[in-house]
Amino acid sequence: MKKLFVVFLFVIFVSITVNAATDIEITFWTHEDPNRTEIENRYIAEFEQANPGVTIKRVTSGSGQIQELILTAFAANQGPDIFNMSIEDEYAYIVNERLAPVDFEAAGYPSLQAIYDAYIPGVLDPVTYKGQLYGLPLELTNWCIYINKKIFRDVGLDPEKDYPKTWEEMMEVSDKIAIREGEILKRRGFDFRYPYYLVSWVPMVEQLGGKLISDDGKTAIINEEAWLKVLDYMREWGPNGRNLGSPTYTNARKLFNKDNNDVAMCLTGLYQQGRIRADNPEFYESGEWMVVPFPVFENAVKDVPAAYYGHYYMVNGQKPKENQQIAWKFIAFMLSHPEEYLTKVNIVQPTVKLMESATFKSMPYSEVFKNDMAKGHIVYYGESSAKIQSLIREAVESVMLAGVSPEDALKTLKRKVQEVLEEG
Amino acid sequence: MSKRIQSYSIERQKARWGWIFVAPTLIFFSLFSFYPIFNAFYASLFRKKLLSLKPPDFIGFNNYSYLLKSPDFWNSIRATVVFTLGTFIPLLIFSLIFAIFIMSRKRFQNFFQMAYYSPAVLSSVVAAVIWLLIFDPRGLANQWVNFALNTPGIDHKWLASSVMVQISAMMVYFWKYVGYFTIIFIVGLASIPQSIYEASKIDGANDWKNFWYITLPLLKPTTILVSIMSMLQCLKTFSTQYLFTQGGAPLAPINVITLNIYHTAIRDHRIGRASAMSIILFIIMLFFTWLQFKFSRTDEVSY
Repeated sequence: MKKLFVVFLFVIFVSITVNAATDIEITFWTHEDPNRTEIENRYIAEFEQANPGVTIKRVTSGSGQIQELILTAFAANQGPDIFNMSIEDEYAYIVNERLAPVDFEAAGYPSLQAIYDAYIPGVLDPVTYKGQLYGLPLELTNWCIYINKKIFRDVGLDPEKDYPKTWEEMMEVSDKIAIREGEILKRRGFDFRYPYYLVSWVPMVEQLGGKLISDDGKTAIINEEAWLKVLDYMREWGPNGRNLGSPTYTNARKLFNKDNNDVAMCLTGLYQQGRIRADNPEFYESGEWMVVPFPVFENAVKDVPAAYYGHYYMVNGQKPKENQQIAWKFIAFMLSHPEEYLTKVNIVQPTVKLMESATFKSMPYSEVFKNDMAKGHIVYYGESSAKIQSLIREAVESVMLAGVSPEDALKTLKRKVQEVLEEG
Repeated sequence: MSKRIQSYSIERQKARWGWIFVAPTLIFFSLFSFYPIFNAFYASLFRKKLLSLKPPDFIGFNNYSYLLKSPDFWNSIRATVVFTLGTFIPLLIFSLIFAIFIMSRKRFQNFFQMAYYSPAVLSSVVAAVIWLLIFDPRGLANQWVNFALNTPGIDHKWLASSVMVQISAMMVYFWKYVGYFTIIFIVGLASIPQSIYEASKIDGANDWKNFWYITLPLLKPTTILVSIMSMLQCLKTFSTQYLFTQGGAPLAPINVITLNIYHTAIRDHRIGRASAMSIILFIIMLFFTWLQFKFSRTDEVSY
């Protein structure tokens, strides 16, 4: 009886050990995107079937919350196996050595160089650190101007000819389109994407010859005159100026899809097309929208479009080696469907093959995005880029809303960004 | 002698049971309150980045001296003081008025209690989201005020001007918590014996005199409790200001200490500095708690 009991215990122990050795759960945290969820859930099912014993647990959060969820999880050494965010938020994980480098063999590449060769030049630079590659791009996005043609025609403008090419024209066209009830805007011509100053506002400063950080990385706010001009432009844009828009109005990008005569133009990426199709298929099919390049100032010294930014899939370096390998294998499996991501989710995975494909070229207005991207640069990224972005936001919004003069706002901004640089 | 030994052992036995009953709470507080406080103080003495795996540098009280010289931190102190004074005083006055109003009703007392209390049950995030929609330039706040004042088309800039955004934050907090403190006042009012009012009626006192000479003095402990509780709660305010800034409101006017702590820790990853800020906030709150004890000892009421 005693022997039988010992054998029974041994069998249980062995089965637990064997199960523990073969069953691996990979946690995968990402932002909400219904179109992506649909295809990625299918990839998970296919991957699990091809890799018995592996379970992928995909968890989604709002795009505004995921940064702090991942940060607090990593701070407690409980980060997920796989995650993705925008590079400005991800870079701190690279420099703090919290990530596992790309396992090219697990990802199905013959060498690390083969990965670099598969993507368009420069796109992997932000995730290359001390000779190691730490991420693979889920998407590379740049923003152009979406136009509702009906609203243009409504005020007697020809959208094909009269679309704003300069920021000065943007102000005039928006003023013409705006419908106000007293001080309250009932219809806006265009409005900015306010929290994302590094992506779309700093390039406006660069058009006039300004720069956020000097080339040696030691001095903040280069060419104050350029900064003051753009701050003044924003003061003029806001409720205390010509009253064309404000951060306190509903996001223009969201209203655009509804085609409710709320806003004529918005600033967004190629992915917006998938969202228009999902939110308002009738408007998507109507042909009543178009996309034009990012405007430049009349006296611009450089033609700088909105900066492009990348979301990169990354793997937690604190997970066991086996988890890391499976995580890279799964990421590579997902990313082996770039055309489906493009056609179903409207996001661009910047592989050489996709950018040259007929599928990409046949996407509406993909050429506009491609041309702007070729002229632009990646968004500023660094360990403190999130803080610098919020300092710029503070400066711009204090000028637009709180009546602070551009000179005072710039002085404060320069002091604070310089302090961030010096603190490291 | 044996009597003394017996009473001594009974005392000891009582004390032992006392410790047994108190122990779970003590353990709970030690784990979830005292340990985090000591840990925060310890962390405040280091230059520590949230994501770094390297051992943090010991810098003594440098985080504190940095904060005391930082204009941003003093702005947060200003924003917190303005919000606290602007919110807890109306909270105190109106919750007392609403409590007296409810207690004076012969019917629908439960309905009014429920109606006033219901916003307190809502999560702060949901409440702030509802108010964000109301404060949208095209939202209900402008429509109501313009209708009431017959000023069509005026944008009162609820979230867009530095003064109005502070008032808006106060309004949301007042709306959310006035019912909670009203209920506390109702409990205080209900504990005043009716016989005192009956005696004063026989002496010919009217309602006004009853309020000034009976209700208000006997309600003093509740008033102190409510004032300190509401003040502490206002000092800890976070979600309303956080969601307002997410909704496009300017940060500086409503950058209360808790919001500054959040940004320093989560956005800037500087957990040492954020811990120093939270210790300073803790000291401020401890001071007011001490005040509460000081006043409550001298204001014990017996009927």
